[in-house]
This record gives sequence, structure tokens and C-alpha cells, in this order.
Amino acid sequence: MSPMGPAPAGSPQVRSLNCPGCGASLTVRSFGNAVTIICESCHSVLDAQDPKLKILQQFHAATIEDRPLIPLGSRGSIRGVLYEAIGFQRRTIQVEGVSYSWHEYVLFNPVKGFRYLTEYDGHWNDISILRALPDLSAGGATLKYLGETYRHFQTADAATAFVLGEFPWQVRVGEITRVSDFISPPRVISSESSGKEVTWSIGEYLSCRDVWKAFKLQGDPPAPIGIYENQPSPMSSNVKSVWTMAGVFLILLLSLAVGVYWMESDEQVFEQMFEFNSSAGGEASFVTPVFQLKGRTSDVELTTNAGVDNDWIYLNYALINQDTGHAYDFGREVSYYHGYDSDGSWSEGKTSNSVTIPSVPPGNYYLRVEPESDSNRGLIRYVVTVKRDVPQASFFGIALLALLVPAGLITWRSLNFEHLRWAESDYGGMPGDGSLLGMVENIADSMKSSGDGE
Amino acid sequence: MIRSFFLVYGLFVLAAVSFAEYRGWSLSRVNEVPNVPRSVRDNPGSYRSVYSSYHHYTGGK
Repeated sequence: MSPMGPAPAGSPQVRSLNCPGCGASLTVRSFGNAVTIICESCHSVLDAQDPKLKILQQFHAATIEDRPLIPLGSRGSIRGVLYEAIGFQRRTIQVEGVSYSWHEYVLFNPVKGFRYLTEYDGHWNDISILRALPDLSAGGATLKYLGETYRHFQTADAATAFVLGEFPWQVRVGEITRVSDFISPPRVISSESSGKEVTWSIGEYLSCRDVWKAFKLQGDPPAPIGIYENQPSPMSSNVKSVWTMAGVFLILLLSLAVGVYWMESDEQVFEQMFEFNSSAGGEASFVTPVFQLKGRTSDVELTTNAGVDNDWIYLNYALINQDTGHAYDFGREVSYYHGYDSDGSWSEGKTSNSVTIPSVPPGNYYLRVEPESDSNRGLIRYVVTVKRDVPQASFFGIALLALLVPAGLITWRSLNFEHLRWAESDYGGMPGDGSLLGMVENIADSMKSSGDGE
Repeated sequence: MIRSFFLVYGLFVLAAVSFAEYRGWSLSRVNEVPNVPRSVRDNPGSYRSVYSSYHHYTGGK
């Protein structure tokens, strides 16, 4: 056996027959395995098992010729086995008055037998017949095969619209079968029922470039249009790994926060109570005693707690380095109002206010404070507290968002892919009851499908 | 591609937070005034805050 598996003979082995309808030469590639042969000249469907090639059907007047993307007689390696394309058909379904057609290619290997490729809008599937029956659920919404659950996607009546080459069954143009697809991307299991006979097949999504490469076809393959029923989501494998990484990063962020809160000194370097008499008039500004800011360049948090009650006080602050004359100038208002009206009790503001001054170098500092309030408000007491090297929770909050938002966007894109996939189904949207649990199930399915497709 | 990007991005986010905390960055912004004269300690009224023209809230509901 060659590395390519059992192969057709080196040069195509064909048997020449003549069409009883038009006399044209017929090429038979499947060594008597064909049940029907279609004459390419007059489009007669012939009984290949009848020595006289009985004409079963003539459809040339009723169909439009369709050219196969993989020419019949082409050979290509599918999963390591060399196959020859021997048959081609177009099948059509009608959904809400709109026709949708796909193409099926019959592939043949003298040892391995038949295999099929399907193509719809540039999406390809590698199809083989199931050897064991899948386990269909009671309602028919899901089926299980080899431990994997497949969800019902679509059921429709498919009509054979055009045929060419050889087929291992009695093909007819106009023949209608009921086709049901169950998906677990990148795989699809299809049942085709015609009368009492049901055929089950399993397909796996193939990229168009892989098909082109396998059959060494010229040019570029037609680009896939839209999202196909069992097309693996390119985003969902990213969803899993991105959330895994996001989880690791969040643990690291939490560890970092614990470390920062443990390591940063959060040292109180100054605290003093002051009084402001707005009725007194005159120059209100004053300076505090000098205090030392130690360590590396770091932040300084200044908190004002004022005894305001339906009142306000505004404080112009300047944190001035005694040695360099460099000042950090800012103002803070502390106001607190409360009362009772027809809506009930209300309150606005609060009696404390904090501000963080970023990146203050070490040194000897003092505060210049200039309080303001309405005149004749009387005495307002306030306490000024200065702390050095205070952890900033806001950065951890921003980092949390920065990690969660991209992961959320990737998840949303993945869900959108699934939404577009299921929009083409019988359900017109993603299956489930719209609950959070249903959504989580869909994401999990999506992740699984992509993991399989990798 | 996205996984590699997210790995680098996540490491960048963690590094940025660490650096911001180490350098004492803050989301607050204050005006910096260079070369304030030493005489301010003796005469605080000689310094004019840039916020002194701030229109104060005097409200309540």
C-alpha cells in the first residue's frame, strides 16, 4: 500500500461504453460499482448494472447544466487516501420560497469505496456514510453519536436538480428526499429519508484551500460566503484561552493588589485641627508646620474632615516643598446639606473630602491653607490629614476592566458567530430558552466545536 | 494571534499598574507651581492660589 493509502491504479482505469440514447462514448471509472451512469452528452440516466445500459431517465431538457468545480476524473487525497471524483449532483431545497442549492461530489477508491464532498457557497464538507446508527433523542432535537451530542439544525426536502458521472445508487433528477442535519461543529450528521429507507452520513468541515490543495486545482477556490452550519468558529477557541489567561491575570492582579496594600506605607505624616471664622474677616490664609515626606517619589493623600451642617467650606491648598519652592496647588470643597420635604428626607454632599497628589518627591513640605465660606457663617472646624504612599484602588479597578473588556468583546464576537450560524437554521436563532444557562451552554458548545476543529 | 496579543496585553496591564503604584500616580490632577518664594511661610497672603477665583457651590436642594 502506498503512503497515500489504497489508490486507484496509476493511470485511470476506465471502461468504454456507448450511450444507448445518443451513442456517445461513456467513461466508467468505478469498475462496475456504479449503479447509475449519466451520459454527459444527452443527460440520460442509465442503469449501469444492466448490460444494455437501460435508460432510466432523460433530463437534459429540464435542467441547466452545472459545471463541477472538481472536474470528474480528478484525483485528490482525502485523509491520506487517494480518491477519484466520479460523480456530481446539484441538490436544491426551498425555504420560504427561496431556492438554496449545494453540490455533491462522489469520490471513489477501489479499496476504500465511496466518499463524498459537498460544497455550498464555498463551504466544503467531507462526507462518509455512518456505519452505526446514532441515538436520536425523543423529540428529535438532538442525537448522540460516539459520545458526542449533535443539535438539530435544519430539516428540508431536497430535490436532485442535476446529475453527472457515476453514482452508487439509482439517482434520478427530481428525486426528493427529506434531509435533516444535526450539528456539532466542525461535524454534521445528516439523515436522508426516502420512503422507508433512511441513510445516515457524517461530515466534517473542510477549508476550501484544503480541497484545492488535495485535488491540485488551478486558481483560487471561491471564497466562502456567510457562515455554514458546521463551520468551526474561529473565535471560540480564543474565548476559552483568553478567559483562561484573563483568569490568571486576575489572580496576578489580586496578588499585586495584596502586595501593594501590604508594602505601601500609607503613613500619616500630618494631622491637625483648624478653625475658620468666616465672620472674622481679614486674611484667612495660613501655613502649617513643616512635615517630612520620606521614601521614594510617591503619592500624597490629603483628607479634609469639616464640621459642616447645611453649610460649606472651600479650601485653597498649596503643598509647598520648603527646600525647592515647588508647590502643588489645588482646591477642595466640603459641603453637606440635608433636610426633609414632600419626597421625604434628603441629603447632598458629605463632611469629608480626599484628594491624591501624584508623584510627590521626598522632602520637607508645608501646607498653605486658605479657607473660604459664606460670610457670617460663624466658626467651622476642620481637620486636615496628610498621608504618604497610599495605594490607589482606582488603578486596580481600571486594570480589572482592561482585562475583562477585551475578553468580553472576544466572547461577544464568538456569540455573534453562533448567532449568525443559527440564524440560518430552522430556529432562526440560537437554540435555548434565552436564559443565562442557555447562553452558557451555547458558549460551551461553541468552545468545544472550535477545540475539535483545531 | 489573539491569544498572543492578549498575553502581551495582559502582561502590559499588570506592568502598568505596578509602575503606576510604584511611582505614586493618581487619576487626580493638580497644578504645579515652581519657585514659590520662601517668604510665603512668613506671609501666606502673598501667595495667590489658582483656585481662588473658583465659583463655590452654595446650594443644597
